[in-house]
Amino acid sequence: MFRYILKRFAQFIPVFIGVTLLLFFITTILPGDPVALRAGEKKLSPAVYAEMRHAFGLDKPWYVQYVNYLGDLTQGDLGTSIASGRKVEVIFKETYPYTLKLALAAITLEILVGIGAGLISAIKQYTFWDTLVTLSTSILVALPVFWLGIMLQYVFGIQLHILPISGASSARFSDFAHLVLPAITLASVSTAYAARIMRSQLLEVQSQDYVRTAYAKGLSPTRVLWGHEMKNALIPVVTFVGLDLGAMLSGAILTETIFNWPGVGFTIYKAIGQRDFPVVFGGVTIVLFAVLFVNLLVDVSYAFLDPRIRFGDASEG
Amino acid sequence: MKDYRSGMPSTPPFQPDEQHAGHENRTLWGDAWNRLRKNRLAVIALMWLVIVTAAAISADFWVPQVFGSPTVFSTSGAAELRLKPPTLAHPMGTDDVGRDLFARVIYGSRISLTVGVLAVVVSLVIGLILGSLSAFYGGILDAFIMRIADIFLAFPYILFAILLLSVLPDNLRGITPVFLTIGILGWPSIARVFRSSVLSVKENDYVEAGRALGASDIRLMLRHILPNAVAPIIVYGTMSVGGAILTEAALSFLGLGLPPGSPSWGGMIQDGRIYLTSSPGVVLWPGLAILSTVLAFTLLGDGIRDALDVKMKD
Amino acid sequence: MAGELLKVDDLKMHFHTRDGVVKAVDGVSYTLNPGETLGVVGESGSGKSVTALTMMRLIPMPPGKIEGGEVLFKGESMLTMKEEQVRDIRGNRIAMIFQDPMTSLNPVYRIGHQIAEPLITHKGMSKKEAHARAVELLEMVGIPNAASRARDYPHQFSGGMRQRAMIAMALSCDPDVLIADEPTTALDVTIQAQILELMQALQKRTGTAIIMITHDLGVVADIANNILVMYAGRAVEYGSTDQVFYEPSHPYTWGLMDSLPTHDLTEKSTLCPIEGQPPSLLNVPSGCPFNPRCPYVKEECRTTVPELRDLGDGHLSACLFAADPDFKRSAADCAGVTR
Repeated sequence: MFRYILKRFAQFIPVFIGVTLLLFFITTILPGDPVALRAGEKKLSPAVYAEMRHAFGLDKPWYVQYVNYLGDLTQGDLGTSIASGRKVEVIFKETYPYTLKLALAAITLEILVGIGAGLISAIKQYTFWDTLVTLSTSILVALPVFWLGIMLQYVFGIQLHILPISGASSARFSDFAHLVLPAITLASVSTAYAARIMRSQLLEVQSQDYVRTAYAKGLSPTRVLWGHEMKNALIPVVTFVGLDLGAMLSGAILTETIFNWPGVGFTIYKAIGQRDFPVVFGGVTIVLFAVLFVNLLVDVSYAFLDPRIRFGDASEG
Repeated sequence: MKDYRSGMPSTPPFQPDEQHAGHENRTLWGDAWNRLRKNRLAVIALMWLVIVTAAAISADFWVPQVFGSPTVFSTSGAAELRLKPPTLAHPMGTDDVGRDLFARVIYGSRISLTVGVLAVVVSLVIGLILGSLSAFYGGILDAFIMRIADIFLAFPYILFAILLLSVLPDNLRGITPVFLTIGILGWPSIARVFRSSVLSVKENDYVEAGRALGASDIRLMLRHILPNAVAPIIVYGTMSVGGAILTEAALSFLGLGLPPGSPSWGGMIQDGRIYLTSSPGVVLWPGLAILSTVLAFTLLGDGIRDALDVKMKD
Repeated sequence: MAGELLKVDDLKMHFHTRDGVVKAVDGVSYTLNPGETLGVVGESGSGKSVTALTMMRLIPMPPGKIEGGEVLFKGESMLTMKEEQVRDIRGNRIAMIFQDPMTSLNPVYRIGHQIAEPLITHKGMSKKEAHARAVELLEMVGIPNAASRARDYPHQFSGGMRQRAMIAMALSCDPDVLIADEPTTALDVTIQAQILELMQALQKRTGTAIIMITHDLGVVADIANNILVMYAGRAVEYGSTDQVFYEPSHPYTWGLMDSLPTHDLTEKSTLCPIEGQPPSLLNVPSGCPFNPRCPYVKEECRTTVPELRDLGDGHLSACLFAADPDFKRSAADCAGVTR
């Protein structure tokens, strides 16, 4: 088990280097000039311009920049924002809690509604409820997230005036109220997927031989469902929800943009527009760590849930 | 329970006999078509896609004449044409500069369908090549390709697309970079789907038999493996078109897709957003267009999956 | 009629599918006395497993529908009793083991837990007691290091060991009847013999009656008291093992016996498989269901549905000509010619 975790962790390093290298490659060919952008309208003298480029290390070749970046990273230094002059780690220390809060709210919705709907749909297969779940998940999956967000803003914010449509806090609404629409928007698609996976897994498990064995033992349908079926059917669902949590922790660019939610995704998106590379790199670094860490957790929990993986070595011996 | 099923006539497994391969193929696809026709949702989805495609192709011949140009707007006396509610002349109303929304939505379907289909083609080409190399040769090559796929999958998809597209100077913006970006980002999933189906087909006895008879790798791949792995690819491809359309809309919404002013559904939603309070139709119609088209691709994909009896993870 | 443990009478289970009605079981009857072994023999698709599952009410309904007949366990109707009562019988008074031990055990639970489960459910044992008993049972079915193997997961067991574990699970509550649905089909030949021996030995010890479902007449030859031969959802021959082996009275049974490899090496005999395929149960041929494949088919066979008739001494056959000595003789000659 421990070796398994170690192995997964070792795989993380090349992936991390691969992504960051790719990122450096892309940003060096980005045409916009961050220094010029920061200067705005006023013309910089060539000397000041060169000095600023030097100050941010932009005059060095990209591989030197990359090594410097990795070196600073080991010290916990993500650099300084070109646009605002603030330390990047400070910027993300402020914004990350918002992303985390939104992600946790959305994942809670996803687990409760997604798994619940999938369960009902599978147990009541071919009934009205099943059709309702199947149909609404199909629609949710096909919805453009940003459009759903805007429509929710229109209905609950503009028409009904019961929920805020922008930001994370205000004098008029509670922080919780601010969380509702972004969380629903962010959770929408994944909830639909979770419900579909739950449904199809449960239906598949129900036709397995070991379920027939469980009934033949004289167990009640409830015991068979919660004991024998769910324990197997949940494995892929847990995997999906876990991977999805990783994706949500990477900042939901669309949702955060629509609701002006001051999280990581929104910050990175703004930084790309401003060619503020240190913020982009810093953000992406944090996001990568979050995603890869959660993926690692998912792998480990998967092995924990499924003895076939946990004891994979034993059966060969 | 197994008993009565095995007693019923079932579709014969794909025959390794090459002389009959073509014939078997035809009945296999024929059966699938018959099953698809019985699926009401899939048929409706297919009909909707045919209508949308027909409208997109024929738009030049009737839309500008009846509803006005989707891009050009007159500056003179446009005030009374702005943000109109739906009327007979403008079935969906007009946008903030007086252009007919219906015309823009129709022209938007051109962009969405083109980007959707071409992006999936790009993903398919890359994914099929890398997936089959990976599955067929295994070993280091497999590990290498799958690691790269991991790198692509580990990176937040939309962030990647934003980064790639923001590299682009304004004068190069258009459909090509958008579908290339979406296509390039889509290959890892296709490669994985294809890899696993090739691996499962490879296990079959008739491939072993072909190998024992001395068939070359390429021949094995083309004659035996590809035809058997093609069903999941068709299903996955159909569903991916919907996904690509969604991504295009999201990118255009963020201002990174097509140039401003082009009738892209996502861009229209972004443009109309500030008028949401007074005329929600500007946002509503393009959104419904995206929803219905993507939904149609998903339902059609579901239908094809059931018809071809492809086992896929949801 | 006292002492009858299980009585199945004219049982009919039909499946209503989109393509039509599948008559998976269409009038099957037999009786089982305590401690006896009944062999149910037929090709796949003959309805032998469905009969057992119907009896246990393990067929989902719909699509399944019981169209008639009765199943009496100790004189009580299994088909009309409450679901709770059936549950009390399942795994407790009547236990089952299945064809594929690879898939019949739940992959995410330890073997010991799965064997203990019926004990907790039916005998009200505590987890600890049940687990201790599970270890004893594993020992009984010949698993070495039972105490530690009980903590293993199914994938850590070999196929033969899994089937042993299934048997331990089935016998945990000392059932009156053990239904074994092709218990050896998925196993290696050497393991098959071991499992059959184990079942016989355990039957001697516990006195459990066994219903052995198989497609292989050879499997039941040594262990069955009575044999029921099924074809296309119907019983075509029923009798004591001696009757069926020494005086087989249905062309299908002859075919099954001819398909058995003989051990006689001096005589060069070839295998004689039955020609053709079992019929689709959606569309059973009119008349005798076996008529399209029967080498001795006559005109009446295509029009008249044969009843199961007593040939004396409780030996039943559903061949129109089973009672006709001339037919039997000529058929034997005919069979000789085809060899």
